[in-house]
Amino acid sequence: MSDNKTVVVDVDRSVYDIKDIETEEEFYREKEGFTRDIVEKLSEEKDDPKWMRDLRFRSLELFEKQKNTTWGPDVSDLDLNRISSYVRHKSEMKTDWEDVPEDIKNTFERLGIPEAERKSLAGVGAQYDSELVYHNLKDEVARAGVVYTDMEAAVKGEYADLVEQYFMKVIPPTDHKYAALHGAVWSGGSFVYVPKGVKVEVPLQSYFRLNAAGAGQFEHTLIIVDEGADLHFIEGCSAPKYNVANLHAGAVELVVKKNARLRYSTIENWSKNMYNLNTKRAIVEENGRMEWVSGSFGSHTSYLYPMTILKGDNSQMEYTGITFAGKGQNLDTGAKVVHQGKNTKSVISTKSISKDGGIGTYRSSVVIAASAKNAKASISCDSLMLDSISRSDTVPAMDIRTNDADVGHEAKIGRISDDAIFYLMSRGLSEEDARAMIVSGFANPVSKELPLEYAVEMNNLIKLEMSGNM
Amino acid sequence: MIVNVLPVLTYRWLHLNDSELDDKYINVTDTVSPAPIALPAGVSRTTLSRSEAEKVFDNAAQLLAKEDEKYVSPNGDMYFRNKEQKIHTGMGIDIDKLLDKMNVQTDVYTAEENKKISEPVVIRYELEDGSGSLSSQIIHAKKNSEITVILDYRSEINAGGFHGVSTKLLAEEGAKINLIKVQMLGYNYIHIDDIGAVCMKNADIEDTQLELGSSKSWNGIYVNLLGDESVFNGNIGYLCKDEQNYDINYIAQQNGKRTDSKCVCRGVLIDKASKTFKGTIDFRVGSSGSVGDEQEDTLLLSPDVINRTMPVILCQEEDVDGRHGATIGQLDEDTLFYMQSRGISSEQAKKIVVKARLDSIANMIPDDEVKAKAAHFIQNAL
Repeated sequence: MSDNKTVVVDVDRSVYDIKDIETEEEFYREKEGFTRDIVEKLSEEKDDPKWMRDLRFRSLELFEKQKNTTWGPDVSDLDLNRISSYVRHKSEMKTDWEDVPEDIKNTFERLGIPEAERKSLAGVGAQYDSELVYHNLKDEVARAGVVYTDMEAAVKGEYADLVEQYFMKVIPPTDHKYAALHGAVWSGGSFVYVPKGVKVEVPLQSYFRLNAAGAGQFEHTLIIVDEGADLHFIEGCSAPKYNVANLHAGAVELVVKKNARLRYSTIENWSKNMYNLNTKRAIVEENGRMEWVSGSFGSHTSYLYPMTILKGDNSQMEYTGITFAGKGQNLDTGAKVVHQGKNTKSVISTKSISKDGGIGTYRSSVVIAASAKNAKASISCDSLMLDSISRSDTVPAMDIRTNDADVGHEAKIGRISDDAIFYLMSRGLSEEDARAMIVSGFANPVSKELPLEYAVEMNNLIKLEMSGNM
Repeated sequence: MIVNVLPVLTYRWLHLNDSELDDKYINVTDTVSPAPIALPAGVSRTTLSRSEAEKVFDNAAQLLAKEDEKYVSPNGDMYFRNKEQKIHTGMGIDIDKLLDKMNVQTDVYTAEENKKISEPVVIRYELEDGSGSLSSQIIHAKKNSEITVILDYRSEINAGGFHGVSTKLLAEEGAKINLIKVQMLGYNYIHIDDIGAVCMKNADIEDTQLELGSSKSWNGIYVNLLGDESVFNGNIGYLCKDEQNYDINYIAQQNGKRTDSKCVCRGVLIDKASKTFKGTIDFRVGSSGSVGDEQEDTLLLSPDVINRTMPVILCQEEDVDGRHGATIGQLDEDTLFYMQSRGISSEQAKKIVVKARLDSIANMIPDDEVKAKAAHFIQNAL
């Protein structure tokens, strides 16, 4: 067999990297930094109710007091004084795609969002920088009572009480520095409410695009799936690459009520100048089921560990994730679960690939409280190293406080087997194609959990990451 | 003092990043290591200051420093916290500082080159109630030698006090060290046991530890598989009941090519006992062809036990195979059912399974007297 190795090149990001010029005439941009004045102005701009205004200031105080963590990737190069908290197009949000400003519409069309909406989605939200520019829900879904709206409208609208009940209660601003920052300057995002017993047959999707250089995106997603209801929500994100740091510190709060099910799928493809310090958390009530499907491909630095609190008896969670860390990337990802209810069950299955100097870290925690009698947890994490200039680390934790639990953990780390490559090459494949096929197979447990269009996109991303010359 | 620090930090709220050893537990009155029951031919024993004794590690330390130049830090890296240690130990720098503060001398056991010594060196600590013992040894197996050392700590079952041991190992090219530690102290003892080891080319270290007594026990094991084709095999067994607390930090740092580390941690928690196992396999750049395996098997027998596990794999090399597996839970229902169908009560069945589990580690003790004493201790504990 040839000793030559595949030289893996960077992903072809041409679609994602197209930058739109944001002129002062068309765009409003807040000055850099996070001060009381800026928060004041933002709160006024959004005409926040008093509780939200108070929450913003309380969060800002917490943000100022809290320090960066010492256990994750280094974020000391992220100068928050050079990040603008708020950038928006001067036009209002539209519900008709044709009314969206031309330049923004072109960007989303290049990303295939309207096409996806026509083909396979029940509703779409599109955020450009700090604000939603488009939000639409198919009539039949709206008629079933499903609410899918921008977060600003939800805070003041018909569901204001429900929003107040849950907003930053699932993820309190005390959680960490960037949850606090989010609480202070959040803008945009979606609110979804699925009424009791309603099963939304096709997914809803929100797409987040951060186009402005040196800006932060702090969208807030709150989804409440009421008793016996069912929803699949898809989140996509991308940004063009700049030479200055961008920050994404969104928050996703999910409430899965009794007998309900929520699947939350994410394909994250931020540009490689992005600090992705995002927080996602779900509370699951009795007999509820939370499913996470997560693909992390982009960003310069990521801290991302969707957390599930299995509060109700017989509640379940399943997390399926893949992380692909390439050149210049430090992606620290994984999942957290807390079992509180009896007969709760969690399954975590992750795949991690590191290449070309990338650092991929799988980090998780499984906590089984004394109250979680007959809890079952299964954790499986596989890592693949594609060269010896990268890092791949696995840092899981388990804390079990009852004997009435059954916990299994399995971790593996290794390379692509020479025998497998040799076999495929003996069947006529080039080494490059053989490697790409093996990596696609490695990622298969994740891609099979995605809707077809997204699985194809994920496989294309992997193929592009793997393509190169011999 | 802070001990058993994880090589990489994780979420602070889990309180797993390190362990605090309260100074109030450390009451040292005796710093002399007991003489071995017998010193087999081919083994010498000298007593030196720690700095003098550790000169045997000079070459290994230089080679490790060179390896460190190629090291790329993982997230939350704590590796350099112990950089002042010539040889890293599982519990870390604070134990070396304690040894120096208490002016503890180090017994150096040296196995002559090319000597394969079959008779074990048995070092027995027979501690009185109220003892405060802190001691240190280095086991140095010269090229192509073989040595077995058994450290056996015992006291009356209700005795209390402080017992600390630091053991450092150097297995030179082609050498083999078989270290066995059996802790059978009274249930009021505080016990700390720290190990740092270096394996040169083709060398092999086996470490068997059985933790049975004491109220609180801290144990650290740091193995540097520095030489190509070096091997480490660790077997840890424990039985914690009442409010016993056991905290282990195991790290296998694999630098050499085609190195092989394996650690099996098998134990039982009863009553309100708690255990923390931190196990790390660290594949450094250049360790191509290496394998690392950690297997943990914990039996939880009471509702109020606490079991915490942190199985870490760090990897800076493509061509390696690292694995970790953990099975944590109650007694397997099928086994229980089978035994009950044979007329064995549930309580008896549990005792049989616990004993069998611990015997699988105890049977590795190559000394009949120590093995029998351990079996007796286990029997009484149940």
